[in-house]
Amino acid sequence: MQLRRQPLPAPRPGDRYPAAPLLALLLLLALQGAAAAPAGSGEPEHSGWRQDAELPRGLLSQAARAALHFFNFRASSPSVLRVLAEVQEGRAWINQKKEYKVDLVFTTELYNPEEGKERLGKCSARVFFRNEKPRPAINITCTRLIEKNTRQEEDYRLYKYMKQLKNLLDVVNIPDSHGHIDPSLRPIWDLAFLGSSYVMWEKTTQFLHYYMAQLSSVKQWKTNEDAIDFDYTVLLHEFSTQEMIPCHIRLVWYPGKPLKVKYHCQELQTPEEASGTEEGSAVAPTELSNF
Amino acid sequence: MKWILFFGDLIGPSICGQEKFFGDQVFRINVRNGDEISKLSQLVNSDNFKLNFWKSPSTFGRPVDVLFPSVSLQPVKSFLKSQGLEYLVTVEDLQIYHEIYSIARDFPDLASRVKIGHLFENRSMYVLKFSTGEGRQQLTIWLNSGIHSREWISQAMVIWTARKTVSDYGKDPAITSILEKMDIFLLTVANPDGYVYTQTQNRLWRKTQSLNPGSSCVGTDPNRNWNVSFAGEGASDNPCSEVYHGAHASSEVEVKLVVDFIQERGNFKCFIDLHNYAQLLTYPCGYMVKKAPDADELDEVARCVAKALASLSGTEYQVCPTCTTVYPASGSSVEWAYDNGIKYAFTFELRDIGHYGFFLPANQIIPTAEET
Repeated sequence: MQLRRQPLPAPRPGDRYPAAPLLALLLLLALQGAAAAPAGSGEPEHSGWRQDAELPRGLLSQAARAALHFFNFRASSPSVLRVLAEVQEGRAWINQKKEYKVDLVFTTELYNPEEGKERLGKCSARVFFRNEKPRPAINITCTRLIEKNTRQEEDYRLYKYMKQLKNLLDVVNIPDSHGHIDPSLRPIWDLAFLGSSYVMWEKTTQFLHYYMAQLSSVKQWKTNEDAIDFDYTVLLHEFSTQEMIPCHIRLVWYPGKPLKVKYHCQELQTPEEASGTEEGSAVAPTELSNF
Repeated sequence: MKWILFFGDLIGPSICGQEKFFGDQVFRINVRNGDEISKLSQLVNSDNFKLNFWKSPSTFGRPVDVLFPSVSLQPVKSFLKSQGLEYLVTVEDLQIYHEIYSIARDFPDLASRVKIGHLFENRSMYVLKFSTGEGRQQLTIWLNSGIHSREWISQAMVIWTARKTVSDYGKDPAITSILEKMDIFLLTVANPDGYVYTQTQNRLWRKTQSLNPGSSCVGTDPNRNWNVSFAGEGASDNPCSEVYHGAHASSEVEVKLVVDFIQERGNFKCFIDLHNYAQLLTYPCGYMVKKAPDADELDEVARCVAKALASLSGTEYQVCPTCTTVYPASGSSVEWAYDNGIKYAFTFELRDIGHYGFFLPANQIIPTAEET
């Protein structure tokens, strides 16, 4: 679906708080999965922010993407993943440190839409971009797309399906060269996407955003204890550098519980590294995230 | 329905085994007498080889073209040698050029295959020319596809487009009227070395396959290598980067061949470069990332195109100047074209907007081609 930028509401002098329509929306909407900003990146004060009337192109979309990755991660539900449909309105403020605060409203679709059923959700979010540093702080609220019971049942159904899967270590390159994902492996893709959402949230800045291009390999798939312990590598397509970033991700998932993720992504080789005879280093998840 | 079979050919074997369609070659065999013809016919018709004639042996004295699958090359060569039959390998890496060869063969009055040079890995570079006039200096359109090898929808789509053009000429008023007034050059695979690499080694390869002295990283981004704002913003001087601009402008033979060809022939009015993904239709910014003089007109044309495109399946494209959308891209083909007087220069970033990305499934090839 297309991103269509609506004209911004006219700024009023001294108006630094979310516009009235946004507030009303927050109050009226059924709250679902209200996600707080992560610790350590507390909300900057309102002083020092001046409204940026001329939004850098794409800033609202960047904010929406970051917010949605974070939302998907916090929802921890592979059966209800959301993607951006359309940004409806937004405004931004910038401070001396060139950090951005973005308020926006956007619509979402289901990542895995059911045939003939189009579900459109609506979200409002506040996103802080910390001048190209990772981990934008996010506050996001969305309307419920699917009834809670239905979602829990669907997650549990997926969980039971995954528990009986075997021989996944042979799985490589999903989708294949022609875009094909075997339906029996689709849940693995969705779970991988859920884990990648955490990574993509952390890495998104006001200039860089990501898509999960391919699930390259499954390193480990453990289901003997209660939770699913999934260790895998993906390729993330980075815009606008066009780089393919290999990331090694390990997640632990149990329906209804918060997702746990550890990851390590490979950095781009510098010219100096490439001119020697070093091999690329093996990728192991060393960065402790929320384990 | 030939193109469906063609796509079936592409998809089927590639899922089962990647080597199958690659390395197939066309041999041009000299047959000097009836005896040699019958020996050759025996070879072709034998069950072992599953061969077919491209140009059938009707009389001797004229060479015969036969397509040999890669698995049979060695035994065939041995056989020909043992029978004293002379041959020449004429078409290599068949899969890429098979279809344009057969389009040119089937519609000789309208289409011809033009060789414009050799590449880094010694492959030939072919462009398909559509023209209704001999010797006239026509206004010309250049359609560029597959400059980034992983963007498979672009190479796949233009084959459909080429077939549609030749089939519908004389029937469809729009195509007929365009071809009466203009010539079209279609570069179906602007980065053949990269394309081969995506089929055999790395599906996500984007650049050329040229070696970079002093670096273990291979390849240059052919869409940062054109001589306009070279090495500016949006390109990298790191050979390991996906947007490495190369040692100097037109360092890549893929780019140089096209530049030389276009400049020598002249009279180009339109240049279209096909990529995926993002669903964008963009036009040049002009030299210093400012507004191009013709921006308003190009914007209007582009919006018309986007509207027409959406009218088929509802696929929405965003329209804007290149530099303000995704990234400023110096050294790009479309900016070069505009800078060299080709006013109607556009970039299409085809389907989709990130769901499948480069891995756009085969069932979207025809809808994409039809709407575009």
